[in-house]
Amino acid sequence: MSETAQEKWGMVIDLDRCNGCQACVTACSLENNVGFVGEESAAYGRGMHWIRIQRYWEGEYPNITARFRPVMCQQCGHAPCEPVCPVFATYHSEAEQINVQVYNRCIGTRYCANNCPYVARTFNWFDWEWPEPLNEQLNPDVTVRRRGIMEKCTFCIQRIRKGEEDAEAEGREVADGEIQPACAQACPADAIVFGNLADPESRVSRLARSARAEKLLEELGTETKVIYLKGGSSRDR
Amino acid sequence: MPLKTRLRLPALVLIALFVVVVAAAAVLGSKSAQAQAEQPIAFNHSVHVEELGVPCLYCHSNAQRGQSAGLPTLEKCQGCHSQIDPGDSQALQDLARYAEENKPIQWVPVALQPDFVYFSHRPHVNAGLNCESCHGDVGQMTVAEPQGDMNMGWCLSCHKKLAPERFVKLSDCATCHK
Repeated sequence: MSETAQEKWGMVIDLDRCNGCQACVTACSLENNVGFVGEESAAYGRGMHWIRIQRYWEGEYPNITARFRPVMCQQCGHAPCEPVCPVFATYHSEAEQINVQVYNRCIGTRYCANNCPYVARTFNWFDWEWPEPLNEQLNPDVTVRRRGIMEKCTFCIQRIRKGEEDAEAEGREVADGEIQPACAQACPADAIVFGNLADPESRVSRLARSARAEKLLEELGTETKVIYLKGGSSRDR
Repeated sequence: MPLKTRLRLPALVLIALFVVVVAAAAVLGSKSAQAQAEQPIAFNHSVHVEELGVPCLYCHSNAQRGQSAGLPTLEKCQGCHSQIDPGDSQALQDLARYAEENKPIQWVPVALQPDFVYFSHRPHVNAGLNCESCHGDVGQMTVAEPQGDMNMGWCLSCHKKLAPERFVKLSDCATCHK
């Protein structure tokens, strides 16, 4: 762990825009080859989502409103999951300043998930079969994980890698908004914005400076890279 | 001989046998991943590269642009070979038959990485690496042969030498593991 958390990739989620449609959840599962466990396994607590929509009720009946908060791995600068991994399968990427999971190294102790205050990690209980022609839907840039390992949101590291490679091949810097995780791309309300926090002029940096900005469990000192925007009730607007 | 010892001996032999079989399977398994492939046509690299001077990128042109270097299509072969008499060469007659039936040639890739590894040719070619640095002197081969193990230590042996100023990025797990 570094003394001060450096910043690079970050995400801003505007909760006043989110209407809980779950498009991000679907897009994430498809982009990252996340399996669908079905109702029964989900009831056993074996559900697999790298991003989930938390629902809250606001107000008293009959003046009641549903509020939503998409929660995924917060990509902590000081991540509680990292120091507990006995095999260094989860580690802090110095180059990208995000928390990375190396699937082929993970042995499935689940220490990391137990130490994650955001419950952002999912354990894969199943060996997945994708009978023809469903295997065609798999993303070749993401490993199809096997049973018994931990997985989680990576900020779509495969898209970051591709964006950086494209920029380097063309001899330029990565443009703001050029790299988008699947959830941000799919959000119909444009509630999720992704970009470089180290660049003060990027869209994500400007939004992160908003007075509405808040972080989840900031008092833990985890230095999260996901910033939520939340202002008053939706009725105020 | 007491009962216990009598039972222990065959058990020990069985365990030893098991260990040997597992070890052999592991060694053979890792070798077969990079085994010499049986190609649909016995394509001769040495004739094309060494004698005729065809550059690698003429047939594997995607190496500059994308992840996979690509294998030549039938049309690419026929670009030259439609003008060449097959004579009594088996390989050329095979190619002529593919052209007649207009059937794609199912070349077998020789240098493969496992599913959990991301590799792209583009940054390597753009960094000025020669194809020979990784694939060996293909100009001296007939059918392309796999080179060594192409494992992580082998990748890193170059990454730390060639670009020490970029080692943070080039040694990051996420750069190659997807």
